[in-house]
Formats: sequence, structure tokens, C-alpha cells
Amino acid sequence: MTFSVSTNSPDEWKVVTSAISTLVDEATFEANVEGLLFRGMDPSHVALIDIHWPNSAFQKFQCNDSIKFGVRIDEFSKLIRRGDKKDTVEVSIGENSTLVIRIKNGYSREYKMRLIEGSSGSTPLPKLNFNSRVVLSSSTLDRVFSDIQVVSEYITLGSEQTKIVFTGKGDSGEANITLDQSSEGLEDIAVKESSSATYSLDYLSRMIKAIGSTGGSVIAEYSTKMPLRLEFRVANIGRIHFYLAPRVQD
Amino acid sequence: MGLDLKLLVSPRPIFTTELSSRVIAVDAYNTIYQFLSTIRGQTGELLTDNKGNITSHLSGLFYRNINLLAENLRLIYVFDGKPHHLKSKEIERRKRIKQEAVEKYQEAITEGRFEDARKFGQATSVLTQTMAEESKRILALLGIPVIQAQSEGEAAAAYLTKSDNAFCAASQDYDSILFGAKRLVRNLTISGKRKVPNRNLYLDIQPEIIKHVDVLDKMGLTHEQLVDIGILIGTDFNPEGVAGIGPKTALKLIREFGKLENIDKMKDKIVQIPYQDIRDIFLNPEVPKINNIEYTDVDYSNVVDFLCGEKDFSRERVTAALDRLKKSISSRNQSLENWF
Repeated sequence: MTFSVSTNSPDEWKVVTSAISTLVDEATFEANVEGLLFRGMDPSHVALIDIHWPNSAFQKFQCNDSIKFGVRIDEFSKLIRRGDKKDTVEVSIGENSTLVIRIKNGYSREYKMRLIEGSSGSTPLPKLNFNSRVVLSSSTLDRVFSDIQVVSEYITLGSEQTKIVFTGKGDSGEANITLDQSSEGLEDIAVKESSSATYSLDYLSRMIKAIGSTGGSVIAEYSTKMPLRLEFRVANIGRIHFYLAPRVQD
Repeated sequence: MGLDLKLLVSPRPIFTTELSSRVIAVDAYNTIYQFLSTIRGQTGELLTDNKGNITSHLSGLFYRNINLLAENLRLIYVFDGKPHHLKSKEIERRKRIKQEAVEKYQEAITEGRFEDARKFGQATSVLTQTMAEESKRILALLGIPVIQAQSEGEAAAAYLTKSDNAFCAASQDYDSILFGAKRLVRNLTISGKRKVPNRNLYLDIQPEIIKHVDVLDKMGLTHEQLVDIGILIGTDFNPEGVAGIGPKTALKLIREFGKLENIDKMKDKIVQIPYQDIRDIFLNPEVPKINNIEYTDVDYSNVVDFLCGEKDFSRERVTAALDRLKKSISSRNQSLENWF
């Protein structure tokens, strides 16, 4: 069994580890000839993250088998963060179930980290039909979340044919933001049926801070009182899906 | 009382938030007894309503469960049914201890030794049929489902974890592990500050979780062997165990000889224990009827009517606790599992 992959910077791993760390402490990755996968839920099963990191997105990808390996995500993240922007990072599975991390630029560093027993079960994906699909720049979405978070712990997404309204209510007052096709940051909107649903801002803002920093667009899809799916397309990673269940009460 | 496995297991401390949205099968009698022994006044007297009826069990069930419900734990209370006939010795023993405690309690009260009174008072708790009915009533009003076991509640709770209807069993007793519970949580309903008996000292009690598979892995045993260890130490069905055998010796013996029948040097003592029957109790425990687990909404107004109207609880405190729960429910997220 071989598993050894390289990237031209530590940034991809930083995004992946920080996204995962918003939900879980221990992560089980799956690798096969086609790429690296991660799927996991937070302990209360409110949010799910599904990462597809295809082999083509790596500078080097060697994996001749289907394998699973578990890591403590904060330990892994700490090591990855030792790399600077232009360092190449090689992650491989070494002997005695260790993860070997080599960071090279100028001088090379090698870390060995103990793997942990991965979870054996597989996480299913929620079965959803989306009536609203909104494409936004990630920086705009990040700003919208922060705007609402000033007054509220949760955000209501209300979409109509050509616009989306974000609202939040708290003890101190209300916040209202409308984005339509003339607004900066709203790249596309397609609404089959007007939709309204409310989600925890805590989860959303942690996730957008973890992934949104890479720039690019976010596709937000949802239906009335149904889970939200955010799709991030990140250069040199591929796609990250983030699912979030709605609040019990709107 | 239950089995003394403490020395053999290594529990992991957890926060109740980690159990959020998990189904927990609570050993009802064990929990209510905890309330009856700990929810007492300065001199060990139980809480009562204006007519003198005991309300400690209701106080515990209400305030504790409110906290757990607010953290989104999905509780099921499992009540004991008819005890197995082998348990009669243990039941007699407990009765005797209680009678002695009642005498010592009254003595301490008359002599004004209130610290002692508190200590003895804790051991006098009796859970009556009325209390059990009242307990079921408050649980129903809180929307918590109740399962009636045919025999041991712990066995039924263990089955719920084995059949994946529940994430873990909750009890103070380690017997759940012998009944095969996948996970056991202790201290769930008594976490927080707790008085150390006989000393003016309070300890922080935190819930802890014990995984069945870890227990077996750590000791390199099969479940059958673990049950044999239990029988040597003493279970509810043979409270004496084998004289002079504690957890460590029992572990050593079973590791060396594999099973009870092979311990030649103790043959005489072991044949006196109905160990095949006891094994059967733990290894083939009853399968409870579980087709009616239904969570309902909290019946706020009837909780107030019951506790404040009938049982003279402080309206202010009850309403404040219910408001806290309401607030927590309203800010709750659904589970993605609803869409799998």
C-alpha cells in the first residue's frame, strides 16, 4: 500500500484542515486512485462537510489502493501550519501507522504524527431537492454573515424570483439585507419556488472563515425549511460541500 | 449497589454537550434512588409537599431533566419490572441495610447529631409504587418516553444500545456493562457539585463514559469472561461473590484459567453459585418491547399544574426552568439525519 501526495503550498491542507476542524476533532480521510475524500458530521449531526479532492489537483498523487486513515485534526493542522506559502508539502503514510509530513523550501522538515483509528462507518449524504440556487462571491457572503451576526445568532434566507433577502432578529433589533441582480457580489440567482429557511450563523460564519478566505464563488442551495448546501470550488482542491440543517423554529 | 468494576475500567470524562441529540437509555430506578438519597435537607430529611408527601424524586426528575433536555439529549427512562428470583438475596440485604439506617437516623435526630442524621438518612431511601407512578407522570409531561422492562431495567437499557436504538445507557452501576451495553454513562444525572459524605467538602462530579469494547480490549477478555469476573466479585444475583476475591484477583484468575469451571482450586466455592443461571441473566437478557418510543413536546402548563398546583413546588423556580428550556428549544438546530 502506498499513499503519498504533494502540493505546491500548504494552503490547500490549511483550508481542508480548518474546514474540518470547525466540525470535528478527529477526522477519517479516505483515499483511492482517484483522489482524497473526507466526509464527516459534527457530533450533534447539524452540519456535514463533504470534500472531493481529485488526484489532478495535487502536484503529485500516489495511491494504489483504497485506504482510510484517521488523524487528530488539531495536531495535523498545527504541523501543516509550519509551512510557508511557497513551501511544498508532502503527506504520506509511513511505517507503524504514522502520517509523515515533509515541508520543503530552503531546508526540509519532517514530522511524524501518529494516526488514530478511523471511524469504520460511512456517513450518508442528505437527500435534497433545491428550489433556490444563489451564486455569490465568498467575500460578499462572508460580509453578509458578519452584518447579520451583529444583531442575531441566526440568519433567515428568503429568496424570490430575482432577489434574496437575508434577515436576522435578536434581542437588540433586526437586520435586513437585500441582494438583487444589480448588487455587487450576487453572481447568479435561480428560484424555482420562493424559499425561506433559517440557519445557525455560528456554523455558517465559522465555515466561511475557514474556506471563504480562498476567494472564488459560493453556490448556496436550499428550499423552504430544508437544509442548506454551500458549494465551494477551491483552486487546487476541488469541491467542498457544506450541509447545514435548519433551525427547529423559524 | 451493583458490581464493583471500578478498578477494571477506565472511564473517559465527557461533557453532556457531547451527548447532544443522542438517545440515552436511563436506568430509571437507579436514577430516582440517586435523587432520593441526595436531594435532602440539612438533617437528611426529604423534600415534601404541604401534606408531607415526599417530592425529592420529582424535584430531581424535573430540574435534572430540564438541564439535559436543554442540551438536546434524547432521554428514554427504563423502569424495572419484576426482579429475577436470584435477586431476592440482594433485595433482602438492601432492606436490612435500610432498616438499620432508619434506626440510626432516628437515633441521630433525637440526639441532635444532624451531620450523622444526614449520612444515615441517605441510606434510608425507599422508592414506593406511588413515587414510581408520579415519576412516570412527570416524565410524560416533559415529553420523555418511558419503557417498562419485564425484569431488569439495566438489561433492557443495554439492549437498546445493542440494537442501536440508543447511543448509551445511563446508570451509576457497572452492571450495564455486564448486560452488554455498548456504552455506559455514569454521573449523568448527578453532575455538578456534590457533597462528600461526612466532610464539609464539595467535589465536582463530571459525567464519564465507558465503552464496552474498550473494557474488553484493555483487559483482553471476551464478554463471557467479563461476566465470569463479575460473578467472582459478586453481582446483584450473588452479592457475596467468592469470599476474598476482589476485582484484581478475579481478573487474574479468569485470565489464567479462561472461565469459572477451570479454576480448580475454587471448585468447591464456585459450585455453590448458580453461575450458569447468572451467566444466562447477563448473556441472554430480555428483549424489551420498543415499538412505542415516542418523543412528545413538553406540556408546559400541565407541568406547572402538577408540580406547583399539586406538589407545592415554587412557581417562580419551575417557570424559570421551563423558560430556560423553551429558549433552548427555540434556538435549536434540526439534525441532518431527518434527511438521510
